[in-house]
Amino acid sequence: MFRYLIIFAHFHMAFRLPELDSLAALEQVNLVYDKDAYSDDHPFFIVQLPSDEDARKLARRSILIKDVIRLYADEPTLERVLETARNTPDLIGPYANSSFRFDCRAFGSTVEHADQVARIEQFAFLPAGDVRLKNPDVIFFYMEDYGTLHTRGHLPPAEPFRCMFGVWVGSGDRQLVNKYDLKKRGYLGTTSMDAELSLVMANQALVRAGSFVLDPFVGTGSFLITCAHYGAFTMGADIDGRQIRGKGGKSIDSNAVQYNLTGRVLDTVVCDIAHHPWREGEIWDAIVCDPPYGVRAGARKLGKGPKSKVPPGPLVPVKPNGEQRYPQTVPYELDDVLVDLIAFAAEKLVPGGRLVYWLPTVTDEYTHADVPLHPRFRLVANSNQVFGTWCRRLITMEKLREGEQAEEVVAIKGEGEAQAPAHAKFREVYFAPGRGSQPSTPPSERA
Amino acid sequence: MRLITHNMLQCHVKACPPGQSYPLQIRNAELEALDAEFNADFVRRLIPKLDWKVLRSTAFELGVAQLPEECPAEPTEDDLQMIHKVALQTRVKEAEMVCSGCGHVYPIKDGVPNMLLQDHEI
Ligand SMILES: C[S@@+](CC[C@H](N)C(=O)[O-])C[C@H]1O[C@@H](n2cnc3c(N)ncnc32)[C@H](O)[C@@H]1O
Ligand SMILES: [Zn+2]
Repeated sequence: MFRYLIIFAHFHMAFRLPELDSLAALEQVNLVYDKDAYSDDHPFFIVQLPSDEDARKLARRSILIKDVIRLYADEPTLERVLETARNTPDLIGPYANSSFRFDCRAFGSTVEHADQVARIEQFAFLPAGDVRLKNPDVIFFYMEDYGTLHTRGHLPPAEPFRCMFGVWVGSGDRQLVNKYDLKKRGYLGTTSMDAELSLVMANQALVRAGSFVLDPFVGTGSFLITCAHYGAFTMGADIDGRQIRGKGGKSIDSNAVQYNLTGRVLDTVVCDIAHHPWREGEIWDAIVCDPPYGVRAGARKLGKGPKSKVPPGPLVPVKPNGEQRYPQTVPYELDDVLVDLIAFAAEKLVPGGRLVYWLPTVTDEYTHADVPLHPRFRLVANSNQVFGTWCRRLITMEKLREGEQAEEVVAIKGEGEAQAPAHAKFREVYFAPGRGSQPSTPPSERA
Repeated sequence: MRLITHNMLQCHVKACPPGQSYPLQIRNAELEALDAEFNADFVRRLIPKLDWKVLRSTAFELGVAQLPEECPAEPTEDDLQMIHKVALQTRVKEAEMVCSGCGHVYPIKDGVPNMLLQDHEI
Protein backbone atom coordinates (compact mmCIF):
# COMPACT_ATOMS: atom_id res chain seq x y z
CA MET A 1 0.00 0.00 0.00
CA PHE A 2 1.13 3.55 -0.76
CA ARG A 3 0.15 6.91 0.63
CA TYR A 4 -1.95 9.18 -1.54
CA LEU A 5 -3.08 12.72 -0.93
CA ILE A 6 -6.64 13.38 -1.99
CA ILE A 7 -7.40 17.01 -2.72
CA PHE A 8 -11.13 17.53 -2.51
CA ALA A 9 -13.15 20.43 -3.82
CA HIS A 10 -13.62 22.61 -0.74
CA PHE A 11 -17.35 22.45 -1.02
CA HIS A 12 -20.19 20.10 0.00
CA MET A 13 -17.94 18.81 2.79
CA ALA A 14 -20.46 16.36 4.21
CA PHE A 15 -20.62 14.56 0.88
CA ARG A 16 -16.90 14.05 0.33
CA LEU A 17 -16.20 10.93 2.38
CA PRO A 18 -19.48 9.21 1.48
CA GLU A 19 -18.73 9.77 -2.21
CA LEU A 20 -15.19 8.45 -1.73
CA ASP A 21 -16.51 5.32 0.00
CA SER A 22 -19.09 4.78 -2.72
CA LEU A 23 -16.49 5.07 -5.45
CA ALA A 24 -14.24 2.59 -3.66
CA ALA A 25 -17.15 0.14 -3.59
CA LEU A 26 -18.08 0.87 -7.19
CA GLU A 27 -14.54 0.51 -8.55
CA GLN A 28 -13.66 -2.32 -6.15
CA VAL A 29 -10.63 -0.48 -4.89
CA ASN A 30 -9.04 -1.46 -1.60
CA LEU A 31 -9.21 1.93 0.12
CA VAL A 32 -7.81 2.31 3.64
CA TYR A 33 -7.94 5.46 5.75
CA ASP A 34 -8.18 6.76 9.26
CA LYS A 35 -11.56 8.38 9.59
CA ASP A 36 -10.41 10.55 12.48
CA ALA A 37 -7.80 12.15 10.23
CA TYR A 38 -10.53 13.56 8.01
CA SER A 39 -11.54 17.19 8.51
CA ASP A 40 -14.12 19.44 6.89
CA ASP A 41 -11.76 22.37 7.55
CA HIS A 42 -9.46 21.77 4.61
CA PRO A 43 -9.50 19.83 1.35
CA PHE A 44 -6.69 17.39 2.17
CA PHE A 45 -7.09 13.76 3.07
CA ILE A 46 -4.45 11.06 3.16
CA VAL A 47 -5.44 7.53 2.22
CA GLN A 48 -3.68 4.25 1.48
CA LEU A 49 -4.14 2.51 -1.85
CA PRO A 50 -2.48 -0.46 -3.54
CA SER A 51 -1.37 1.37 -6.69
CA ASP A 52 -1.50 4.47 -8.88
CA GLU A 53 -3.92 2.58 -11.09
CA ASP A 54 -6.30 2.16 -8.14
CA ALA A 55 -5.90 5.83 -7.25
CA ARG A 56 -6.88 6.83 -10.78
CA LYS A 57 -9.89 4.50 -10.71
CA LEU A 58 -11.02 5.87 -7.38
CA ALA A 59 -10.90 9.45 -8.63
CA ARG A 60 -12.03 9.16 -12.23
CA ARG A 61 -15.76 9.45 -11.53
CA SER A 62 -15.52 11.66 -8.51
CA ILE A 63 -17.36 14.96 -8.50
CA LEU A 64 -15.85 16.12 -5.22
CA ILE A 65 -12.22 15.11 -5.77
CA LYS A 66 -10.04 17.51 -7.68
CA ASP A 67 -6.72 15.66 -7.71
CA VAL A 68 -4.96 12.63 -6.31
CA ILE A 69 -1.26 12.87 -5.56
CA ARG A 70 1.15 10.08 -4.75
CA LEU A 71 2.42 11.56 -1.52
CA TYR A 72 6.13 11.64 -0.75
CA ALA A 73 6.31 14.36 1.87
CA ASP A 74 3.87 15.86 4.36
CA GLU A 75 5.78 18.24 6.60
CA PRO A 76 5.38 21.49 8.51
CA THR A 77 7.90 23.39 6.33
CA LEU A 78 9.32 23.49 2.82
CA GLU A 79 12.81 22.77 4.20
CA ARG A 80 11.61 19.52 5.73
CA VAL A 81 9.86 18.60 2.49
CA LEU A 82 13.07 19.13 0.54
CA GLU A 83 14.99 16.98 2.97
CA THR A 84 12.45 14.18 2.76
CA ALA A 85 12.39 14.38 -1.05
CA ARG A 86 16.19 14.15 -1.20
CA ASN A 87 16.00 10.92 0.77
CA THR A 88 13.28 9.32 -1.31
CA PRO A 89 14.81 6.85 -3.79
CA ASP A 90 11.45 6.60 -5.63
CA LEU A 91 11.87 10.21 -6.73
CA ILE A 92 15.50 10.01 -7.73
CA GLY A 93 15.53 7.14 -10.20
CA PRO A 94 12.51 6.84 -12.41
CA TYR A 95 12.01 10.37 -13.81
CA ALA A 96 15.55 11.09 -15.04
CA ASN A 97 14.45 11.04 -18.67
CA SER A 98 10.83 12.08 -18.24
CA SER A 99 9.41 15.33 -19.48
CA PHE A 100 7.89 17.15 -16.53
CA ARG A 101 5.94 20.06 -15.17
CA PHE A 102 5.99 21.40 -11.64
CA ASP A 103 2.74 22.61 -10.08
CA CYS A 104 2.97 24.80 -7.01
CA ARG A 105 -0.31 25.56 -5.26
CA ALA A 106 -1.62 26.98 -2.05
CA PHE A 107 -4.82 26.58 -0.05
CA GLY A 108 -6.05 29.54 2.00
CA SER A 109 -3.67 32.09 0.55
CA THR A 110 -2.04 33.06 -2.73
CA VAL A 111 1.62 32.57 -3.49
CA GLU A 112 2.88 35.13 -6.00
CA HIS A 113 4.31 33.79 -9.22
CA ALA A 114 7.86 34.83 -8.36
CA ASP A 115 7.59 33.08 -4.99
CA GLN A 116 6.27 29.96 -6.68
CA VAL A 117 9.29 29.93 -8.99
CA ALA A 118 11.61 30.39 -6.03
CA ARG A 119 10.09 27.38 -4.33
CA ILE A 120 10.16 25.23 -7.44
CA GLU A 121 13.83 26.05 -8.03
CA GLN A 122 14.70 24.45 -4.72
CA PHE A 123 13.54 21.13 -6.13
CA ALA A 124 16.15 21.36 -8.92
CA PHE A 125 18.02 18.41 -7.40
CA LEU A 126 15.30 16.07 -8.67
CA PRO A 127 16.61 14.33 -11.76
CA ALA A 128 14.16 14.89 -14.62
CA GLY A 129 14.11 15.50 -18.37
CA ASP A 130 12.76 18.54 -20.21
CA VAL A 131 10.00 20.83 -19.06
CA ARG A 132 6.76 20.31 -20.93
CA LEU A 133 3.67 22.19 -19.82
CA LYS A 134 1.16 20.18 -21.82
CA ASN A 135 0.92 16.44 -21.21
CA PRO A 136 4.28 15.90 -19.56
CA ASP A 137 5.32 12.41 -18.48
CA VAL A 138 5.25 13.45 -14.86
CA ILE A 139 3.75 16.30 -12.85
CA PHE A 140 5.51 17.14 -9.59
CA PHE A 141 3.09 18.68 -7.18
CA TYR A 142 3.85 20.93 -4.24
CA MET A 143 1.09 22.28 -2.02
CA GLU A 144 1.03 24.66 0.94
CA ASP A 145 -1.83 24.86 3.42
CA TYR A 146 -2.48 28.27 5.03
CA GLY A 147 -5.74 27.28 6.70
CA THR A 148 -9.04 29.10 6.39
CA LEU A 149 -10.79 31.97 8.06
CA HIS A 150 -12.48 29.40 10.18
CA THR A 151 -9.30 27.69 11.46
CA ARG A 152 -6.82 30.56 11.65
CA GLY A 153 -8.61 33.91 11.96
CA HIS A 154 -8.81 36.66 9.42
CA LEU A 155 -5.43 36.99 7.74
CA PRO A 156 -3.41 34.13 6.33
CA PRO A 157 -0.17 33.55 8.24
CA ALA A 158 3.16 34.41 6.57
CA GLU A 159 4.22 30.78 6.62
CA PRO A 160 2.07 27.78 5.77
CA PHE A 161 0.96 25.29 8.44
CA ARG A 162 1.70 22.36 6.27
CA CYS A 163 3.64 21.57 3.08
CA MET A 164 3.03 18.54 0.90
CA PHE A 165 4.87 17.14 -2.05
CA GLY A 166 4.27 14.29 -4.44
CA VAL A 167 3.57 13.16 -7.95
CA TRP A 168 0.20 13.79 -9.54
CA VAL A 169 -1.58 10.56 -10.48
CA GLY A 170 -5.14 11.45 -11.42
CA SER A 171 -8.09 13.81 -11.31
CA GLY A 172 -11.76 13.72 -10.53
CA ASP A 173 -14.40 14.51 -13.12
CA ARG A 174 -15.60 17.92 -12.06
CA GLN A 175 -16.03 19.09 -15.64
CA LEU A 176 -19.34 17.19 -15.61
CA VAL A 177 -20.73 19.82 -13.25
CA ASN A 178 -20.34 22.27 -16.10
CA LYS A 179 -21.55 19.87 -18.77
CA TYR A 180 -24.83 19.24 -16.93
CA ASP A 181 -25.21 22.78 -15.58
CA LEU A 182 -28.90 23.61 -15.26
CA LYS A 183 -28.32 26.96 -16.92
CA LYS A 184 -27.66 25.15 -20.16
CA ARG A 185 -30.48 22.60 -19.84
CA GLY A 186 -33.44 22.94 -22.16
CA TYR A 187 -36.19 21.65 -19.90
CA LEU A 188 -36.18 22.81 -16.31
CA GLY A 189 -38.69 23.14 -13.50
CA THR A 190 -38.74 24.71 -10.10
CA THR A 191 -37.80 21.31 -8.69
CA SER A 192 -34.79 20.52 -10.90
CA MET A 193 -31.76 19.51 -8.85
CA ASP A 194 -28.38 21.09 -9.51
CA ALA A 195 -25.95 19.08 -11.58
CA GLU A 196 -23.26 18.68 -8.94
CA LEU A 197 -25.47 17.01 -6.35
CA SER A 198 -27.37 15.02 -8.97
CA LEU A 199 -24.05 13.58 -10.10
CA VAL A 200 -22.94 12.85 -6.54
CA MET A 201 -26.25 11.03 -6.05
CA ALA A 202 -25.54 8.79 -9.03
CA ASN A 203 -22.20 7.93 -7.42
CA GLN A 204 -23.89 7.26 -4.08
CA ALA A 205 -26.28 4.93 -5.89
CA LEU A 206 -23.33 2.97 -7.37
CA VAL A 207 -24.82 3.50 -10.79
CA ARG A 208 -22.75 2.00 -13.60
CA ALA A 209 -23.10 0.83 -17.18
CA GLY A 210 -26.14 -1.43 -17.38
CA SER A 211 -27.65 -0.47 -14.01
CA PHE A 212 -31.42 -0.18 -13.89
CA VAL A 213 -32.59 2.92 -12.04
CA LEU A 214 -35.97 4.36 -11.03
CA ASP A 215 -36.88 7.83 -9.81
CA PRO A 216 -40.41 7.49 -8.38
CA PHE A 217 -40.73 11.29 -7.99
CA VAL A 218 -39.19 12.09 -11.33
CA GLY A 219 -40.42 15.67 -11.87
CA THR A 220 -38.24 17.13 -14.60
CA GLY A 221 -35.96 14.11 -14.53
CA SER A 222 -32.70 15.52 -13.14
CA PHE A 223 -31.58 12.14 -11.82
CA LEU A 224 -32.48 10.24 -14.98
CA ILE A 225 -29.97 12.41 -16.81
CA THR A 226 -27.06 11.99 -14.40
CA CYS A 227 -27.65 8.27 -13.86
CA ALA A 228 -27.94 7.68 -17.62
CA HIS A 229 -24.69 9.60 -18.04
CA TYR A 230 -22.96 6.78 -16.15
CA GLY A 231 -24.52 4.15 -18.38
CA ALA A 232 -27.66 3.31 -16.41
CA PHE A 233 -31.00 2.55 -18.01
CA THR A 234 -33.46 4.83 -16.26
CA MET A 235 -37.19 5.08 -15.63
CA GLY A 236 -39.26 7.69 -13.87
CA ALA A 237 -42.69 8.04 -12.33
CA ASP A 238 -44.61 11.04 -11.06
CA ILE A 239 -48.15 11.75 -9.95
CA ASP A 240 -48.07 14.86 -12.11
CA GLY A 241 -48.02 14.07 -15.82
CA ARG A 242 -47.48 17.71 -16.73
CA GLN A 243 -43.97 17.56 -15.28
CA ILE A 244 -43.12 14.54 -17.41
CA ARG A 245 -44.59 15.85 -20.63
CA GLY A 246 -43.26 19.37 -20.20
CA LYS A 247 -44.33 22.13 -22.53
CA GLY A 248 -43.57 23.58 -25.92
CA GLY A 249 -41.45 20.65 -27.05
CA LYS A 250 -39.37 20.79 -23.87
CA SER A 251 -39.61 17.72 -21.69
CA ILE A 252 -37.62 14.95 -20.04
CA ASP A 253 -37.32 13.43 -23.51
CA SER A 254 -35.93 16.62 -25.02
CA ASN A 255 -33.33 16.78 -22.24
CA ALA A 256 -32.33 13.22 -23.08
CA VAL A 257 -31.92 14.31 -26.70
CA GLN A 258 -29.88 17.35 -25.64
CA TYR A 259 -27.38 15.18 -23.78
CA ASN A 260 -27.44 12.36 -26.27
CA LEU A 261 -28.88 9.94 -23.69
CA THR A 262 -32.03 8.79 -25.50
CA GLY A 263 -30.68 5.26 -25.71
CA ARG A 264 -30.83 4.92 -21.93
CA VAL A 265 -33.51 7.28 -20.66
CA LEU A 266 -36.38 4.85 -21.03
CA ASP A 267 -39.96 5.34 -19.88
CA THR A 268 -41.84 7.61 -17.56
CA VAL A 269 -45.14 6.63 -16.00
CA VAL A 270 -47.82 8.74 -14.34
CA CYS A 271 -48.57 7.11 -11.00
CA ASP A 272 -48.83 7.69 -7.27
CA ILE A 273 -46.26 5.96 -5.08
CA ALA A 274 -48.90 5.54 -2.37
CA HIS A 275 -51.04 3.48 -4.78
CA HIS A 276 -48.55 2.23 -7.30
CA PRO A 277 -49.05 -0.13 -10.24
CA TRP A 278 -45.73 -1.99 -10.23
CA ARG A 279 -46.09 -5.74 -10.01
CA GLU A 280 -44.14 -7.84 -7.57
CA GLY A 281 -40.45 -8.37 -8.11
CA GLU A 282 -36.96 -7.10 -7.37
CA ILE A 283 -36.44 -4.96 -10.43
CA TRP A 284 -34.21 -1.93 -9.95
CA ASP A 285 -30.56 -1.66 -8.95
CA ALA A 286 -31.08 1.81 -7.56
CA ILE A 287 -33.86 4.20 -6.60
CA VAL A 288 -32.69 7.80 -6.69
CA CYS A 289 -35.07 10.60 -5.79
CA ASP A 290 -36.05 13.85 -4.12
CA PRO A 291 -39.38 13.18 -2.39
CA PRO A 292 -42.02 15.90 -2.46
CA TYR A 293 -42.30 18.19 0.52
CA GLY A 294 -42.72 21.76 -0.60
CA VAL A 295 -45.64 23.75 -1.88
CA ARG A 296 -44.45 23.77 -5.42
CA ALA A 297 -43.19 20.20 -5.22
CA GLY A 298 -46.82 19.31 -4.38
CA ALA A 299 -46.86 16.44 -1.90
CA ARG A 300 -50.20 14.85 -2.63
CA LYS A 301 -51.51 11.35 -3.06
CA LEU A 302 -54.69 9.90 -4.46
CA GLY A 303 -57.55 9.78 -2.02
CA LYS A 304 -60.67 11.34 -0.73
CA GLY A 305 -60.69 13.44 2.38
CA PRO A 306 -61.96 16.68 3.81
CA LYS A 307 -59.13 18.50 2.06
CA SER A 308 -59.37 16.72 -1.25
CA LYS A 309 -60.29 18.74 -4.26
CA VAL A 310 -63.67 17.20 -4.95
CA PRO A 311 -65.22 18.16 -8.23
CA PRO A 312 -68.99 18.61 -8.01
CA GLY A 313 -71.38 15.97 -9.26
CA PRO A 314 -71.39 12.19 -9.23
CA LEU A 315 -68.14 10.27 -9.39
CA VAL A 316 -67.25 9.52 -12.94
CA PRO A 317 -63.73 8.41 -13.68
CA VAL A 318 -64.01 9.40 -17.31
CA LYS A 319 -65.25 12.70 -18.64
CA PRO A 320 -68.09 12.69 -21.20
CA ASN A 321 -65.52 13.21 -23.98
CA GLY A 322 -63.77 10.03 -22.91
CA GLU A 323 -60.80 11.82 -21.31
CA GLN A 324 -59.77 10.69 -17.88
CA ARG A 325 -60.69 13.08 -15.15
CA TYR A 326 -57.83 14.21 -12.96
CA PRO A 327 -58.32 12.20 -9.80
CA GLN A 328 -58.84 13.65 -6.37
CA THR A 329 -55.91 13.96 -4.07
CA VAL A 330 -55.26 14.54 -0.40
CA PRO A 331 -52.16 16.05 1.24
CA TYR A 332 -49.36 13.58 1.73
CA GLU A 333 -47.40 14.09 4.93
CA LEU A 334 -43.66 13.77 4.64
CA ASP A 335 -43.53 10.97 7.19
CA ASP A 336 -45.98 8.94 5.14
CA VAL A 337 -44.06 9.65 1.96
CA LEU A 338 -40.91 8.29 3.59
CA VAL A 339 -42.56 5.18 4.98
CA ASP A 340 -44.08 4.45 1.56
CA LEU A 341 -40.84 5.16 -0.27
CA ILE A 342 -38.73 2.92 1.92
CA ALA A 343 -41.25 0.09 1.89
CA PHE A 344 -41.42 0.41 -1.89
CA ALA A 345 -37.63 0.30 -2.17
CA ALA A 346 -37.46 -2.73 0.14
CA GLU A 347 -39.72 -4.59 -2.28
CA LYS A 348 -38.44 -3.37 -5.61
CA LEU A 349 -34.68 -3.12 -5.23
CA VAL A 350 -32.43 -6.05 -5.98
CA PRO A 351 -30.39 -7.26 -3.00
CA GLY A 352 -27.40 -4.92 -2.63
CA GLY A 353 -29.35 -2.21 -4.48
CA ARG A 354 -29.30 1.32 -3.16
CA LEU A 355 -31.91 3.89 -2.21
CA VAL A 356 -30.58 7.45 -2.37
CA TYR A 357 -32.96 10.22 -1.34
CA TRP A 358 -33.25 13.65 0.28
CA LEU A 359 -34.66 14.06 3.76
CA PRO A 360 -35.54 17.58 4.91
CA THR A 361 -35.08 18.28 8.63
CA VAL A 362 -35.33 21.19 11.01
CA THR A 363 -31.74 22.03 11.90
CA ASP A 364 -32.08 22.59 15.64
CA GLU A 365 -34.28 19.61 16.24
CA TYR A 366 -32.48 16.97 14.27
CA THR A 367 -31.23 13.83 15.97
CA HIS A 368 -29.84 10.75 14.27
CA ALA A 369 -32.96 8.89 15.29
CA ASP A 370 -34.84 10.93 12.70
CA VAL A 371 -33.43 8.96 9.81
CA PRO A 372 -35.90 6.20 9.06
CA LEU A 373 -34.41 2.72 9.30
CA HIS A 374 -35.73 -0.50 7.91
CA PRO A 375 -34.89 -4.11 8.72
CA ARG A 376 -34.01 -4.86 5.11
CA PHE A 377 -31.60 -1.94 4.77
CA ARG A 378 -28.23 -0.83 6.02
CA LEU A 379 -27.73 2.91 6.41
CA VAL A 380 -24.67 3.75 4.30
CA ALA A 381 -24.43 7.53 4.48
CA ASN A 382 -26.17 10.60 5.83
CA SER A 383 -24.83 13.89 4.47
CA ASN A 384 -26.14 17.21 5.63
CA GLN A 385 -26.63 20.37 3.62
CA VAL A 386 -27.61 23.33 5.78
CA PHE A 387 -29.99 26.09 4.70
CA GLY A 388 -30.22 28.07 7.92
CA THR A 389 -33.12 26.99 10.10
CA TRP A 390 -33.52 23.81 8.16
CA CYS A 391 -31.45 21.36 6.15
CA ARG A 392 -31.73 18.54 3.81
CA ARG A 393 -29.87 15.31 4.23
CA LEU A 394 -28.82 13.00 1.48
CA ILE A 395 -29.57 9.52 2.78
CA THR A 396 -27.98 6.46 1.20
CA MET A 397 -29.33 3.03 2.15
CA GLU A 398 -28.35 -0.35 0.82
CA LYS A 399 -30.72 -3.28 0.67
CA LEU A 400 -29.25 -6.21 2.52
CA ARG A 401 -28.20 -9.29 0.65
CA GLU A 402 -29.25 -12.69 1.85
CA GLY A 403 -27.65 -13.49 5.20
CA GLU A 404 -26.56 -9.91 5.81
CA GLN A 405 -27.56 -8.29 9.07
CA ALA A 406 -28.54 -4.70 9.61
CA GLU A 407 -26.02 -3.16 12.00
CA GLU A 408 -28.51 -0.78 13.52
CA VAL A 409 -31.81 -0.80 15.28
CA VAL A 410 -34.30 -2.47 13.03
CA ALA A 411 -37.56 -0.62 12.89
CA ILE A 412 -39.28 1.93 10.80
CA LYS A 413 -39.30 4.85 13.11
CA GLY A 414 -42.44 6.68 13.96
CA GLU A 415 -44.83 4.46 15.82
CA GLY A 416 -44.65 4.51 19.57
CA GLU A 417 -42.05 7.25 19.63
CA ALA A 418 -42.35 9.92 22.27
CA GLN A 419 -40.46 12.47 20.25
CA ALA A 420 -41.65 13.48 16.84
CA PRO A 421 -38.95 13.28 14.19
CA ALA A 422 -37.35 16.56 13.14
CA HIS A 423 -38.82 16.33 9.68
CA ALA A 424 -42.35 15.98 11.05
CA LYS A 425 -42.45 19.69 11.81
CA PHE A 426 -40.69 20.59 8.63
CA ARG A 427 -43.66 22.20 6.94
CA GLU A 428 -44.61 24.10 10.07
CA VAL A 429 -41.17 25.58 10.56
CA TYR A 430 -40.60 26.12 6.92
CA PHE A 431 -43.76 28.10 6.49
CA ALA A 432 -43.57 29.89 9.84
CA PRO A 433 -43.50 33.65 9.34
CA GLY A 434 -40.53 35.85 10.13
CA ARG A 435 -37.71 33.35 10.06
CA GLY A 436 -35.00 35.54 8.69
CA SER A 437 -32.37 33.04 7.76
CA GLN A 438 -34.56 30.74 5.78
CA PRO A 439 -34.33 30.76 2.03
CA SER A 440 -37.39 31.79 0.09
CA THR A 441 -37.74 28.48 -1.67
CA PRO A 442 -37.47 24.92 -0.41
CA PRO A 443 -34.13 23.25 -1.02
CA SER A 444 -35.17 21.10 -3.91
CA GLU A 445 -36.32 24.19 -5.67
CA ARG A 446 -32.99 25.95 -5.49
CA ALA A 447 -30.43 25.49 -8.20
CA MET B 1 -44.32 2.89 -22.97
CA ARG B 2 -41.89 0.20 -23.97
CA LEU B 3 -42.76 -3.44 -23.55
CA ILE B 4 -40.28 -3.73 -20.67
CA THR B 5 -42.50 -1.30 -18.76
CA HIS B 6 -45.73 -2.98 -19.81
CA ASN B 7 -44.25 -6.18 -18.42
CA MET B 8 -44.05 -4.61 -14.97
CA LEU B 9 -47.35 -2.79 -14.73
CA GLN B 10 -50.50 -4.28 -13.27
CA CYS B 11 -54.00 -3.14 -12.44
CA HIS B 12 -54.16 -1.92 -8.85
CA VAL B 13 -57.84 -1.14 -8.46
CA LYS B 14 -58.75 -2.27 -4.97
CA ALA B 15 -61.72 -4.36 -6.02
CA CYS B 16 -59.90 -6.02 -8.93
CA PRO B 17 -60.35 -9.81 -8.68
CA PRO B 18 -57.13 -11.39 -7.40
CA GLY B 19 -55.04 -13.10 -10.06
CA GLN B 20 -56.65 -11.19 -12.89
CA SER B 21 -54.94 -7.84 -12.61
CA TYR B 22 -51.98 -8.86 -14.76
CA PRO B 23 -51.15 -8.53 -17.60
CA LEU B 24 -52.97 -5.50 -18.91
CA GLN B 25 -54.38 -5.94 -22.42
CA ILE B 26 -53.21 -3.37 -24.94
CA ARG B 27 -56.00 -2.09 -27.21
CA ASN B 28 -55.99 0.24 -30.21
CA ALA B 29 -52.25 0.50 -30.11
CA GLU B 30 -50.17 2.82 -32.20
CA LEU B 31 -46.61 1.51 -32.10
CA GLU B 32 -43.27 3.04 -32.86
CA ALA B 33 -39.76 1.67 -33.06
CA LEU B 34 -37.16 3.52 -31.03
CA ASP B 35 -33.47 3.19 -30.62
CA ALA B 36 -32.15 2.03 -27.29
CA GLU B 37 -28.60 1.21 -26.40
CA PHE B 38 -27.83 -2.48 -26.47
CA ASN B 39 -26.11 -3.65 -23.31
CA ALA B 40 -25.80 -7.44 -23.21
CA ASP B 41 -25.22 -7.48 -19.48
CA PHE B 42 -28.31 -5.38 -18.83
CA VAL B 43 -30.47 -7.68 -20.97
CA ARG B 44 -29.04 -10.79 -19.34
CA ARG B 45 -29.92 -9.45 -15.91
CA LEU B 46 -33.32 -8.32 -17.16
CA ILE B 47 -34.39 -11.78 -18.33
CA PRO B 48 -35.15 -13.29 -14.90
CA LYS B 49 -37.11 -10.15 -14.00
CA LEU B 50 -39.36 -10.44 -17.04
CA ASP B 51 -42.57 -12.39 -17.17
CA TRP B 52 -41.62 -14.25 -20.31
CA LYS B 53 -45.08 -15.52 -21.17
CA VAL B 54 -46.46 -12.00 -20.99
CA LEU B 55 -43.65 -10.54 -23.07
CA ARG B 56 -44.15 -13.28 -25.61
CA SER B 57 -47.92 -12.95 -25.89
CA THR B 58 -47.79 -9.15 -25.97
CA ALA B 59 -45.17 -9.15 -28.71
CA PHE B 60 -47.27 -11.62 -30.65
CA GLU B 61 -50.56 -9.77 -30.23
CA LEU B 62 -48.96 -6.50 -31.29
CA GLY B 63 -47.39 -8.21 -34.27
CA VAL B 64 -43.92 -7.23 -33.18
CA ALA B 65 -42.12 -10.55 -32.99
CA GLN B 66 -42.57 -14.25 -32.51
CA LEU B 67 -40.58 -15.06 -29.39
CA PRO B 68 -39.81 -18.70 -28.51
CA GLU B 69 -42.18 -20.52 -26.16
CA GLU B 70 -39.59 -20.70 -23.41
CA CYS B 71 -37.03 -18.07 -22.60
CA PRO B 72 -33.64 -19.39 -23.77
CA ALA B 73 -31.85 -20.76 -20.71
CA GLU B 74 -28.45 -19.79 -22.02
CA PRO B 75 -29.18 -16.90 -24.31
CA THR B 76 -26.89 -16.34 -27.27
CA GLU B 77 -25.97 -12.87 -28.47
CA ASP B 78 -28.78 -13.19 -31.04
CA ASP B 79 -31.29 -14.05 -28.33
CA LEU B 80 -30.19 -11.05 -26.30
CA GLN B 81 -30.51 -8.79 -29.34
CA MET B 82 -34.00 -10.12 -29.99
CA ILE B 83 -35.13 -9.54 -26.41
CA HIS B 84 -33.56 -6.09 -26.52
CA LYS B 85 -35.48 -5.26 -29.65
CA VAL B 86 -38.82 -6.44 -28.26
CA ALA B 87 -38.53 -5.12 -24.69
CA LEU B 88 -36.58 -1.89 -25.19
CA GLN B 89 -37.05 -0.78 -28.77
CA THR B 90 -40.77 -1.30 -29.18
CA ARG B 91 -42.84 1.52 -27.78
CA VAL B 92 -46.58 1.87 -27.50
CA LYS B 93 -47.24 5.48 -28.38
CA GLU B 94 -51.00 5.66 -28.08
CA ALA B 95 -53.26 2.95 -26.68
CA GLU B 96 -55.57 1.86 -23.96
CA MET B 97 -54.49 -0.71 -21.42
CA VAL B 98 -57.44 -2.66 -20.19
CA CYS B 99 -57.60 -4.85 -17.11
CA SER B 100 -59.20 -8.19 -17.87
CA GLY B 101 -60.19 -8.52 -14.22
CA CYS B 102 -62.13 -5.33 -13.55
CA GLY B 103 -62.22 -3.60 -16.92
CA HIS B 104 -60.35 -0.50 -15.77
CA VAL B 105 -58.87 1.41 -18.69
CA TYR B 106 -55.44 2.98 -18.34
CA PRO B 107 -54.75 5.34 -21.21
CA ILE B 108 -51.36 5.76 -22.88
CA LYS B 109 -50.80 9.16 -24.42
CA ASP B 110 -47.70 10.20 -26.25
CA GLY B 111 -45.94 7.15 -24.88
CA VAL B 112 -46.75 7.89 -21.23
CA PRO B 113 -49.13 5.51 -19.45
CA ASN B 114 -51.44 7.08 -16.92
CA MET B 115 -51.85 4.67 -14.02
CA LEU B 116 -53.73 6.99 -11.66
CA LEU B 117 -56.96 5.75 -10.14
CA GLN B 118 -60.02 7.59 -8.94
CA ASP B 119 -60.34 7.80 -5.20
CA HIS B 120 -63.21 5.28 -5.04
CA GLU B 121 -60.95 2.71 -6.72
CA ILE B 122 -58.19 2.67 -4.13
C1 LIG C 1 -39.08 17.52 -5.23
S1 LIG C 1 -39.92 17.08 -6.68
C2 LIG C 1 -38.72 16.08 -7.53
C3 LIG C 1 -38.10 16.83 -8.63
C4 LIG C 1 -37.19 16.06 -9.52
N1 LIG C 1 -36.06 15.51 -8.77
C5 LIG C 1 -36.70 16.92 -10.65
O1 LIG C 1 -35.59 16.73 -11.11
O2 LIG C 1 -37.45 17.80 -11.10
C6 LIG C 1 -41.13 15.94 -6.13
C7 LIG C 1 -42.01 15.37 -7.21
O3 LIG C 1 -42.86 14.40 -6.62
C8 LIG C 1 -44.11 14.42 -7.27
N2 LIG C 1 -45.11 13.80 -6.38
C9 LIG C 1 -45.82 14.39 -5.39
N3 LIG C 1 -46.61 13.49 -4.77
C10 LIG C 1 -46.39 12.30 -5.39
C11 LIG C 1 -46.91 10.99 -5.22
N4 LIG C 1 -47.84 10.74 -4.28
N5 LIG C 1 -46.46 9.99 -6.03
C12 LIG C 1 -45.54 10.25 -7.00
N6 LIG C 1 -45.02 11.49 -7.22
C13 LIG C 1 -45.43 12.49 -6.42
C14 LIG C 1 -44.34 15.87 -7.60
O4 LIG C 1 -45.22 15.99 -8.69
C15 LIG C 1 -42.92 16.36 -7.90
O5 LIG C 1 -42.67 16.32 -9.29
ZN1 LIG D 1 -58.27 -4.51 -12.55
